[in-house]
Amino acid sequence: MAVNEIVRMYEDLNRALKKPVEKRSWVMVIDVRRCVGDHACAVSCMAENVCPPGTSYRWVFETEYQNYPKLDRFFMPANCQHCDNPPCLKAANRHKRGAITKRPDGIVVFDYEKLSRSSSAMDAAKKACPYYAIVDDRGDYYTENTPKLEPYETRTFFEYDRKLNRKKTKGTIRKCHFCLHRLESGMIPACVSTCIGRAMYFGDLNDPRSLVSELIRKEKTLRLKEAEGTKPRVYYIGFKDRANISISTPATCQVCHQ
Amino acid sequence: MAEKDKSCKISEMLESIPQKEVTRRGLLKAGALLGSSAFLMGKVEKAFGLLASAEAATGGDYPLAKAENVIYSVCLQCHTACPIKVKILDGVAVKIDGNPYSAQNMIPNLKQKTSPHVAAKIDAKICPKGQAGVQSLYDPYRIVKVLKRKGPRGSNKWEVISFDQAIDEIVNGGYLFKHIGENRYVPGLKDIYALRDPKLSKAMAKDAKAVAKGKMSVSDFKKKYKNHLDVLIDPNHPDLGPKNNQFVLQFGRIEHGRKELWKRFLAGGFGSVNYYEHTTICEQSHHIAYKEATRQPKGGKWGKPKSEHMKPDALNAEFAIYFGTGFVEANFGPPNMAEKVTEGLQTGRLKVCVVDPRMSKSAAKAWKWLPVKPGTDAALIMGMIRWIIENKRYDERFLSAANKAAAKAAGESSWTNAAHLVKIEKDGPGALLRAKDIGMGGDEFVVVKNGEPVVVGKDAVTGDLDYSGTIKGIRVKTAFRILKDEAFSKSLSEWSEICGIPENDIIDVAREFTAHGKKAAADMYRGAVQHTNGYYNGQAVIALNLLIGSIDHKGGLSKGGGHWHEDGGKLKKPFYLKKLHPNKLHAFGHKLTREKSRYEDSTLFKRDGGYPARRPWFPFTGNVYQEILPSAADGYPYPIKALWIHKGTPALSIPAANEQARILADPNIIPLVFATDIVIGDTTMYADYIFPDTAIWERWGTPHTSPDVLQVSSKFRQPTITPLTEVVEVFGEKQHCSMEAVMFAIAERLKLPGFGKNGFGNGYDLTRPEDWYLKLAANLAWGDKPGQEVPDASRDEIKLFMRARRHMAKTVFDPERWERAAGKENWRKVIYLLNRGGRWEDWKDDFLGSGMQVHRFGKQFNIYAEHVALQRHSLTGKRFSGIAIYEPPKDAAGRVIDDSGYPLQLITYKDILGGQSRTLPTDYWLSSILPENYILINTETAAKLGFKDGDKAKIISASCRDGKWHLPNRGTKGVIGKIKTVEGMRPGVVAVSWHYGHWGYGASDTVIDGKVIKGDPRRATGLCPNAVLRVDPALGNACMTDPIGGSSSFYDTKVKLLKA
Repeated sequence: MAVNEIVRMYEDLNRALKKPVEKRSWVMVIDVRRCVGDHACAVSCMAENVCPPGTSYRWVFETEYQNYPKLDRFFMPANCQHCDNPPCLKAANRHKRGAITKRPDGIVVFDYEKLSRSSSAMDAAKKACPYYAIVDDRGDYYTENTPKLEPYETRTFFEYDRKLNRKKTKGTIRKCHFCLHRLESGMIPACVSTCIGRAMYFGDLNDPRSLVSELIRKEKTLRLKEAEGTKPRVYYIGFKDRANISISTPATCQVCHQ
Repeated sequence: MAEKDKSCKISEMLESIPQKEVTRRGLLKAGALLGSSAFLMGKVEKAFGLLASAEAATGGDYPLAKAENVIYSVCLQCHTACPIKVKILDGVAVKIDGNPYSAQNMIPNLKQKTSPHVAAKIDAKICPKGQAGVQSLYDPYRIVKVLKRKGPRGSNKWEVISFDQAIDEIVNGGYLFKHIGENRYVPGLKDIYALRDPKLSKAMAKDAKAVAKGKMSVSDFKKKYKNHLDVLIDPNHPDLGPKNNQFVLQFGRIEHGRKELWKRFLAGGFGSVNYYEHTTICEQSHHIAYKEATRQPKGGKWGKPKSEHMKPDALNAEFAIYFGTGFVEANFGPPNMAEKVTEGLQTGRLKVCVVDPRMSKSAAKAWKWLPVKPGTDAALIMGMIRWIIENKRYDERFLSAANKAAAKAAGESSWTNAAHLVKIEKDGPGALLRAKDIGMGGDEFVVVKNGEPVVVGKDAVTGDLDYSGTIKGIRVKTAFRILKDEAFSKSLSEWSEICGIPENDIIDVAREFTAHGKKAAADMYRGAVQHTNGYYNGQAVIALNLLIGSIDHKGGLSKGGGHWHEDGGKLKKPFYLKKLHPNKLHAFGHKLTREKSRYEDSTLFKRDGGYPARRPWFPFTGNVYQEILPSAADGYPYPIKALWIHKGTPALSIPAANEQARILADPNIIPLVFATDIVIGDTTMYADYIFPDTAIWERWGTPHTSPDVLQVSSKFRQPTITPLTEVVEVFGEKQHCSMEAVMFAIAERLKLPGFGKNGFGNGYDLTRPEDWYLKLAANLAWGDKPGQEVPDASRDEIKLFMRARRHMAKTVFDPERWERAAGKENWRKVIYLLNRGGRWEDWKDDFLGSGMQVHRFGKQFNIYAEHVALQRHSLTGKRFSGIAIYEPPKDAAGRVIDDSGYPLQLITYKDILGGQSRTLPTDYWLSSILPENYILINTETAAKLGFKDGDKAKIISASCRDGKWHLPNRGTKGVIGKIKTVEGMRPGVVAVSWHYGHWGYGASDTVIDGKVIKGDPRRATGLCPNAVLRVDPALGNACMTDPIGGSSSFYDTKVKLLKA
């Protein structure tokens, strides 16, 4: 732990930013052994991205497995998997061309204007996503119908190189964008930097020196629903080692995934 | 990934980040800013306002990545008080992250010298509560103006009045509620402020103490002060102190910085001893256990405690046990603790055991979860100790060392009194044997070596551990032997039976704990100690640590890095605040809660015929929060006249809460109640007046850090935006209404010493918050020793400092005024400190590995606390135990509680999403994840009782048979919640989290000036179980309490669930 992984990821990121965008390959790595189920990532996302009430681009599920007194309690964070073969893109673009695009660095981009003009594209995208990663922006606010609509809800925020506010995103669908606005300013995603268990990592898979490359090389990885051919950019590690610590097994996963 | 060589790359990396942003504002010259006036600042604001909107750009130009949009401060959504980075956009605090300079939020932390421009891009970690600070700050139910009640207390009907009117009424008293039909004269603070002469107060204090101890007669005292007896509460009992004591400050959460100001106001200014924090509803007994274990012998007496808590060094440990706590939720605190543990788990360095009836998120990560029966931690530990001693797995070399020199010879820095001899008297172990008792010297302690007594002098002395015998006719045992006798008083199976943990598990954990040399430690917090036997549970945890002697070892029990001292007491400059209080009053007399006083050393002992006392006395502890209102109700030891409630909620948060609300609502008990709060809270709803306080992110403070943090850390809280509260004028200064402004205004009206123009007596005024806090900042900037000062801020950093505050109104930020308050010669250092939100020791690789800690305790630990052993229980008259013992829950009269008929035991806990206040459910981000709480119960237990998941149930107890909150002038509210069945609960135990069940804090409708403000149903969800927690049958109007540590009992109540 003498090495500060946050600083290392910043270093990785800034190295990647020196390359042209098509040479970058953003991936996220989640070590489930280190997830403590505190939801800091989810709340950080809500604040950073001014997510619609009741939603976050990132969530943490939890479940129990087996019975008292020998049981596991397990936490599972997830978000948009930024698939290289994104089902949402194919589904939505059938209704509205260019509504969802794929950046050369791997980020799946929602065009809010295009999407909001096509409810069939939005429905198709939501239905197609096997990760339930897409949320509706109905234009409601946490503090409407209270004594005061608060400024953290009406403020400017930044997604996909755009200056936005909730008026502009009303009626569209939204999801994780790997905090692209932060990446381009040399900052790692908000969920990653705030993780109190240091369960999350982010960086450039094209860079063999990056922390994420090192982790993916060294650890056994798992990607969610790989069999569906979605080619997700979120890698999970820590599913096999039960030597010292109570962690999940695929059996635990079946509590939620039949 | 823990190769050492990589850490050096941080500095390389930091240099690689471009620092060019610095020069973009060439138009604003540093010189002009430095000499700026209000006029100039206005211009600056305008210039930046324009620029800010023009440049809120995208694509690599994210405004929140820039240092000019960042102010570092300190969170307080929970007491961990994490250093935070508050990001400002268009004058609004929009995003909160961890401060990367802070050792608490990033390991290794950024070097102090790192440019703030670089730090702006690096967000450190912070928990969800800290993130949601934005929503506590911009809470639609925040109050910004002064409210006076317009109906009976608790009716939640108010009128807005001016700050000055409210202060005048509080100070002068009168028929304040005549217009709403209350024809009752309310005494003002001016009537209570009876003793005003500093010299007289000092003389009376001394003599009153002599009277209490029987060294001066009451009649002599009355003769000597015959012209001043009217200032006393009761001239026949001068040890009760002056009438000034009848003004009481019940402050829930008050931290350093504010705390020192508050004592200056109430003790030195007003002359009252009655200021309280909430600590006994938190985890006070754990502090008291550490305090008594670390009280140092001094010339035959016991001096000051040297520690109030320690933590496992989880960065280096191989094994850690958490009793009634963990590293993910609550404790002190998750952002700093969690990662050290998860890293250890992932790399295989560390195993942890969590002792908790509920499978917490920490327990989810544990090698072993021990679902102990609540309140039997000491029994579990006695089982472990028995096995450890039987198998000789304790560190004999460490424990045999009887003094500092012997510790040194053994390669240790600390030592214990395990080998010291204790006299065995007819009612059990008593005083430690002194050399003079056996004619071998003076007050030195004595050990036995090879059967012969040896005096513990300065030279290295070791003693036999397991000794019992007679020396010069005196029956003695070693402290170790007394512990052993307690552990061996029951078989392992008997201990197992009491604590409900199988013998094999007890042995496994004891074996593991003793299998890692010095790289193991046991932690504790609230769960183990909020019991009537809390202090003893705490001592048992400490004893466990002492058996392996891991104190001060890397991976062992650590005192942490500590902090630099903001009071200027070490360096005695630039502001030695203790000495900067001219004409200070000498507050004296027993406190309302009888804390820090011995019953035997009071005139009431004689008056009331000795034991039992009418209510308990608490010589070892302080801040006995639950005793304040019930004592006032009983008028024991005296009635009170005015109460200021601040940042605390006795009517909600104290066990047996119905009693607290009942007392508070009755103006015949306390005629004047006023409060400072950020909202109309569940308790402040019962106040006569509420003043809006500034929220955490708008104000100041110098919170101290957790012992879990290995580096020296001084955090500094400062305003990040213009406070939302109204602007008021005090001492001719425009400032925002706040706790401080209320203090200053009262001080102004009553001319309290130490406030106002030249309030510090050295030419410095005390008329505004920054007059106080920037002096603390200056002290921190200079450090504790010569040469520890931080550098002066560079011209660029000064510019940045001004720029980052361009959105603040002059009522809060005025650089000229701030410079004056901090002292011209300190100002640039203070800017350097404020630009980082405090100061932290730089990381070094020495913090990792094996061997001794960088920062050490290096003193004696008492396995036997003589100080406690010689004191008698104020009701039973029986001696307390000097050694850790197991005892069942008892009432104030020392009787074991038997609530048969109530088959379940109730415990409470905190979710990681919630703190003590604010947070859940009022911060909507957090409550969107956890909208309500539940009655958590084991699936099988629920089935047996006929409940299934989702059913509604009411909780009842022997002292709350109707299962209802009784809220005076509001009606009743059932303690009703949804059943949630889980596997991760000990059968027979039910758990209800804190956080929910509000009627105040925006949960119900409020009437202000005749207008209804609708409550928010999202804030009224769930349940709070405090109404059903056990009333102490011996007291009748308060919860049960640990007689030594003072902790209120949260986990000793037996309950029944009814279908609802």
